This record gives sequence, structure tokens and C-alpha cells, in this order.
Amino acid sequence: MCLDDQILNTYLDGELSEPWKTQVEEHLSYCVACKERLNRLKNLKKMVCSAQLTDDEIAPRQEKVLSFMEKNYFNKKKPSLIHKKIKVSFGGMLGVAAAFTLIFATVIWGGQGDSQEFIPNTGINTDINENNVSMVSVREPQIQTLDDYTLEEILTNLDDRGYTVDLHIKGVQPVEFDSTEDLSEDEADLSEPSSGN
Amino acid sequence: MEIRSSNEAEFKRVYEEVFPVIMRVAYHVTYNKDVAEDICQDAFIRFYDKDMVFDTVDDAKYWLIRVTKNLAINQVKRKSRERNSIEKLKKLPHAKSYDKDGASELLKEESTQAVRKAVEQLPEIYKTIIVLKEYAGLNYKQISQVLRISESNVKVRVHRARKELESMLSGEEIHVP
Repeated sequence: MCLDDQILNTYLDGELSEPWKTQVEEHLSYCVACKERLNRLKNLKKMVCSAQLTDDEIAPRQEKVLSFMEKNYFNKKKPSLIHKKIKVSFGGMLGVAAAFTLIFATVIWGGQGDSQEFIPNTGINTDINENNVSMVSVREPQIQTLDDYTLEEILTNLDDRGYTVDLHIKGVQPVEFDSTEDLSEDEADLSEPSSGN
Repeated sequence: MEIRSSNEAEFKRVYEEVFPVIMRVAYHVTYNKDVAEDICQDAFIRFYDKDMVFDTVDDAKYWLIRVTKNLAINQVKRKSRERNSIEKLKKLPHAKSYDKDGASELLKEESTQAVRKAVEQLPEIYKTIIVLKEYAGLNYKQISQVLRISESNVKVRVHRARKELESMLSGEEIHVP
């Protein structure tokens, strides 16, 4: 049985180990077809190798790159710490930002006592207790005084509550007449606009 | 002996031995000498900047070959996206003028160009194998270390790459020195 190309290529490259190497050589000693095939592969390899870049073509470029390295790397003075480029990865930058945020938050909220040293006193009483804190939802409405209501509203309110109000205007002397009936009429007049509203 | 890549003396020792190898790798992937030179320079700058320690010169060599190969392949891929540039790239190897007379020299040059063109047109995995085997002079074990594949895989790829090359070059007038 003849040798396949893979075995011949491996043999050609000197990579075939024993005992296969001896067996291949023995086969090649009498098989003309396999020997012919090996020669063709050998020629192909030679031809491919002959196309390689020559030492003469490489030499000037080798010198050129080396002189570049010497000029820019070996003989270059190491930059001082100030002028050194500091390479920081994105992750590193995020870490630094997070650390700054944490320190800032600690200064602001972490130590109330210590913050006095850093933050000027604004004059606002920062003592928090039940006297100066109230829930927004249960805050009482602003206290309204009597001046906030019209006279009609006051009279209506009192009338609703069952009070009888005697109203006098200074400097005006009431006309003398039967008191019982007129008082009730006055009350009715004063209370009418409010009821009309 | 350990090799520190940022040590000038050790760098130069590696440089002296490895530059021709990676120059061939870069050239036979890109087929442009100027581009290959830039790639080699880039590879050695990375080598120096990374300040690495290698157990042997060979380990440093494999690292440099791997970096060069990747840079060269990336360069070819980038160029292949620029139609005009690829045309320029293909023409460059043919730009050499014949400075010697004689049929044999002409024949050799034509054969060289035919081979280079064929290698250039190989699929990437076969091209890499041929470049490392024939132009970087690595054996199967070394190739397996550079490409991080098994030796059996290297063996198969070498065989398939040569088969492909043979088929590409079947119509060419072969000049074997």
C-alpha cells in the first residue's frame, strides 16, 4: 500500500518519528510512484522556500528599526514623574470616581460634628426634635385671625351658632322706638347678604 | 537565562536573532516591505514597553512571532477593506526592477513572484502555517506553541496548505534553484 501525502510531507519535514520513519524509507526504496511523489513535494517545498525575503533585503531594515529604538527608547531620558504619562484604565477611573464620591458623602453625612470644621455655620438650628419637625401631610392650616373674615361672614357664623348680635355704629344715636321688633329686623338685614352669599 | 524585554542588552540579543524571522513573517503575510518593517517596529516597541520576563530567548521569539503574525493579519484585513490600497499592495512585490541580466535570473524572479502571489492568496490558516514553516523556519512543535494548537493539527494544516499551493502553482513554470 502506497504512502499518502500527509505522511510524505511529515517525512519531508523531518518530523516523522520511529518506527514509521524506517518503514517509509523502506517503502520508498522500492516504490517508484511514491518516490516520484516525494520528489514533487520536495520541489514544491524548495520553490516556496526560494521565494523568501533574502537577508540582503532584511539587513537595512533591521538597522533602521534598531536605530529608531536606540533613539527613542534606549537613549531617551526617562521622563520625570510630573511629565510621565499616567495611563489609567476606564475601570480605574470609575474606581477613583467612586472613592471620591464615598469620601464626599462621608464628610457631608457621616460626621455631623466633624463637618462643622469644614462647612461654615449657616446659622440654622440643626437640632432636630419633635418641636421643629412636622409631617407635611398633617400640618395644620395657617391660623386665621378675625381680620381675615368679613363682617357678614362673622355675623352669619355667629347666627349659625345661635348667638344674637347687637351691632352699634359709633357716633350715631339710634332712633328711639319700640325695641323688640326693630332689633329683629336689623338682625335680619345684616344677616341677609351673608345668607344670600 | 532569563530575558527581560526592557533591558537594553537583553533586548538587543533577542532583536539580533529574531528580527529577520519576524520580518519574513510580516512580509510574507502582507507582501509589502515597508508595511512589514512598520509591523516589526511596532512588535518590538510592544516587546520593550511591556517589560516582560521570558525564561528563554525562544520564548521571547515565539511571543514576538505571535504578535507579528497577528499584526500582519490585521493589516491585511484592514487593507482588504480598502479596495484601492489592496491594489497597491498587490503591485508592490512586482515593482522590483531587474538589475541583473540573464534568463535564469528572470526565470527565478518570475517563479518567486508566482509563489508569493500563491501564498498571498492562500486562506489565512494555511498562509500562516506556510509562513511559519517555510519562512520563519519553525518546526511542528514550535508552530504548535506559537499558534497554540496541537502538533497533529499543525501536521494536517501543513499537508492541506501544500496541497492548496500545489494546485495554485500547477500552471506555473516552476524554477527550482
